[in-house]
Amino acid sequence: MSAVIDIEELRSQFLDQEFDSQEFVLKTENILTVARASGETRAEFSDESHPDFQAPPALLCSLASGRHLPIDFPAMGGIPMDGGKAVTRHAPVRPNQTLIGKTHLHDIYDKKGRSGRMILIVARMEVYDTDDNHLATADSRMVIREKPTS
Amino acid sequence: MSINTVHDVEFGTELPAFSPDTSLARTAEFAQAVGWGNGRGRFDNHEAAKKQGLPGALVPGIMGMGFLTTTIHQWSAVAQIEQIDTVFRAPMLADAPLTIGAVVTDIDEETGLIELDMTLKNDLDETRVFGTARVRLPTE
Repeated sequence: MSAVIDIEELRSQFLDQEFDSQEFVLKTENILTVARASGETRAEFSDESHPDFQAPPALLCSLASGRHLPIDFPAMGGIPMDGGKAVTRHAPVRPNQTLIGKTHLHDIYDKKGRSGRMILIVARMEVYDTDDNHLATADSRMVIREKPTS
Repeated sequence: MSINTVHDVEFGTELPAFSPDTSLARTAEFAQAVGWGNGRGRFDNHEAAKKQGLPGALVPGIMGMGFLTTTIHQWSAVAQIEQIDTVFRAPMLADAPLTIGAVVTDIDEETGLIELDMTLKNDLDETRVFGTARVRLPTE
C-alpha cells in the first residue's frame, strides 16, 4: 500500500526552485542533421552559410532531456513517461556558442482518468548565453501513473 | 498562395502538409544528433525495440515536433515560430506513415500573431502527437 500523493505539498516544496544547471554547445553538424531529418528546408536552419543560421526548435527541446527531477523529489512508484515538450524562443540559438540551461519545476498537477490518477510534472529549462541573455525556454512534461492504494 | 503577411491568413485555413520521412535511417540520425543514440536500438532497430517491450522502433517525440515546425516553415517563408507545445499521446512507429494536420485557430492582425492547432496521425487515423503553435508573421 502506498500513500496518496499530496499535490499541493509537492507544489509548495518544489516549484520554482532551480535544481540543475548545465552548459551546452550545439554543433553545426547536429543542427544540420536535425533539420535534414525533420524535412526542414528553410536556409536559416539547413544551410550553415546562411547569415541567420540557428538551431531549430526541436533541437532546443532536446536540451531539456536530462535530469528532470530534484534529487530529493519523492519516488512515486511509477516510471515517468515523456508526456510532451514545448519550446518558447526568445532569440536565435547559434552553433558553437556556450549555452547555460537552468532547470526548475514549473508545474505539478494531476488528472483523473478511467485508469486512475496521473501526476503531471513540468520541468522547465531556461536557456541563456554567457552574457545572461535569455534565449529560449524548454518545457519537458512528465507523466506518472499513480499506483493504486489497495 | 504565398503567405507574406498576417493579412494573407484566413481563420480555419489548413496548412499544406508534407509526407515526413520516418525511415529508420532518419530516426536513427535524428536520435544520434540530439544525444539519444544510446537507446539500445529504440530508434533504429525494430527487433531491439521489441525486446524492450516497445511495438517497434520509434520516431523520437521531438522529431515529431520537427515535422510540425517544418510544416509551418514550408507554409510561409517568413513565419517565425515563437512557441510550439506538443503532447506525446502515443508512440509513433518508425517506417510507418504519418499524416500532419495544421489549422489556423486564431489571428491577431495588429500584432501579427497567429495560433495553430496541429496533429500527427498514423495510418489508422489515430492521433499520436497533438499540439499548438504561436507564430509571428509580418503585419505589412
